[in-house]
Amino acid sequence: MIQETARRLGLGGLALAVATFSVQQAQGYSFNQVVPDVRQPASLSGGSACPVRAHRPTGSGSVAVQWSTAFGTNPVAILTQDQTTSGRLNEIEQAIQQSLGVWTGVSGTTLTPASPAPLARTAVANACGSDGLNSICFDQNDAAFTPGVLAFTRVITADRIGEQIGSAISAEVGQILDADIYFSSSDPRTAFATPLALFTNPNAYDLESVLTHELGHFLGFSHSAVWSAIMFPFAPAPGTYAGPRPTAQQPDAPLAEDDRTGLRALYPDPNDMVHTGTITGRILAANPLSLLISPPGVTGIFGAQVVAVDASSGAAMGGAIGGWSCSGAGPAQFDGTYVLERLAAGNGTSYKIYAEPLNGAVNPAAVSNATSSLCRNAMTDAGWPAAASCIVPPVDTSFTTHMRPSP
Amino acid sequence: MSFADRRRFLWILFLAGLVLIALVAQATTFSRLRFEELARQASGVARLRCLSAESHWENGEIWTETRFAVEETEKGLLGALTMVRLPGGRVGHIEAHVDGAPRFHPGEEVYLFLWGKRGEPFHVLGWAQGTFRITRNPRTGRESVTQDSAATVIFDAESRTFRRDGISKMPVAEFRERLRGALEPAGKR
Repeated sequence: MIQETARRLGLGGLALAVATFSVQQAQGYSFNQVVPDVRQPASLSGGSACPVRAHRPTGSGSVAVQWSTAFGTNPVAILTQDQTTSGRLNEIEQAIQQSLGVWTGVSGTTLTPASPAPLARTAVANACGSDGLNSICFDQNDAAFTPGVLAFTRVITADRIGEQIGSAISAEVGQILDADIYFSSSDPRTAFATPLALFTNPNAYDLESVLTHELGHFLGFSHSAVWSAIMFPFAPAPGTYAGPRPTAQQPDAPLAEDDRTGLRALYPDPNDMVHTGTITGRILAANPLSLLISPPGVTGIFGAQVVAVDASSGAAMGGAIGGWSCSGAGPAQFDGTYVLERLAAGNGTSYKIYAEPLNGAVNPAAVSNATSSLCRNAMTDAGWPAAASCIVPPVDTSFTTHMRPSP
Repeated sequence: MSFADRRRFLWILFLAGLVLIALVAQATTFSRLRFEELARQASGVARLRCLSAESHWENGEIWTETRFAVEETEKGLLGALTMVRLPGGRVGHIEAHVDGAPRFHPGEEVYLFLWGKRGEPFHVLGWAQGTFRITRNPRTGRESVTQDSAATVIFDAESRTFRRDGISKMPVAEFRERLRGALEPAGKR
């Protein structure tokens, strides 16, 4: 769960998950004086007005991706073993399918092999853009590329229901409306090779490794600091690939445990009987007078990072930004609450919890995506009812933590 | 606190730091650029102070243009002000995340390795790799430099060891010296 992301923290939604609102409902706020459930229908969120943490692929074929068959020829961006036109396309498509299969092969998630729609091809040269369609482009010379950037994923979200990007209309706050993966095509020294072609092209980057990584972003992940994780930000050296290749027996073989735990948190399967542990608590100031008095209602530390560590192995098992709770139908409460979930439970497993302020390598701005959308009020949305309003406090970086001696 | 507890605590702090890289760097695959490569490939290198950042739609994409005051130029011809263009940003209720593309805040000081053509807004070479943020110790006033891509330690789950790549918390004077060394023509070194 190390790659727990801003979107994991409550702002996510999968672009092509089937909307659960009708179009009419999604066009705007239809509340009167009733506290609305702004994130999801109450039937799904239990009435909470707070952000929902998990993505919900709603059924077979709900995750759609197309890829552009337009390639550069000088230089050739994607190297294949098969040099025939159709064979080349099939080989690349197989790499895409296999990369998607890596993620859908993780147990204990609702992202299953049936979740992706059949992979679509498009001959459009510049298929990646703000059109509401998720696309993979190998030959779109985006101005954002510089040396050192091999590929990136552009993810478009909305913080209001009813926002439209191309054919996609947001039915949930934070829903991803468009996610496109761009491969560098402008650098003549950069090429990618399919798994079949990598051995004979040792100067090329492994297409499958890079694609699996970018698809992780597509699914809501950010980077992991775990060296062996597929979500580690640096590509394996040319001619090499990340982890073992996927197999029919273990389609998620390239992933590290860290990646799997992250996916279970992003796409939790209610029927998963293994990763059922949740740890929750509050981070409180020893001196409550040290807490902010404005905005009112802050009763705990807001914006601390909290980590669960396996007590026996010492491995980091999960992390989150804590500081608020969302248990009722009203707005978020800034009471210092943290929640760490999808942890393995039973068999004597125990965890230690550590908290740390965001005053080190990571500053509060880096998590603003996770925190800034926790509240809605009359300033962000005209006419918003006071009962459902709140103001996000600044992240508290002033506290220090101390190791307390065991009792 | 016993020595063992202290050691465990420090180790945990490392781990806690790891968790946050997920929130710092984001959705991009990088190829490694050594410091010398950055220096060689950059069109300009300068110490800059962020003045403002503004996002807008352009040809169906959201871009953020950040205006900087140039405080000290180390390479290239830069005016007193320079504009840096990065993908992503927020316009109204829509946000385009291009993770790994750095974001800057007014007042923030950085060394940037710039890339692009003169007369056009620059890009940041290698994004997180070409971004070196300057922080000042409030007690001593000493400045240090940390590369975005080196902001936290890296954990190798297999060997269970930690490492840190790139430049982290390097005193500004030392950074400048290293930078100037990297910018010198090979023959002069």
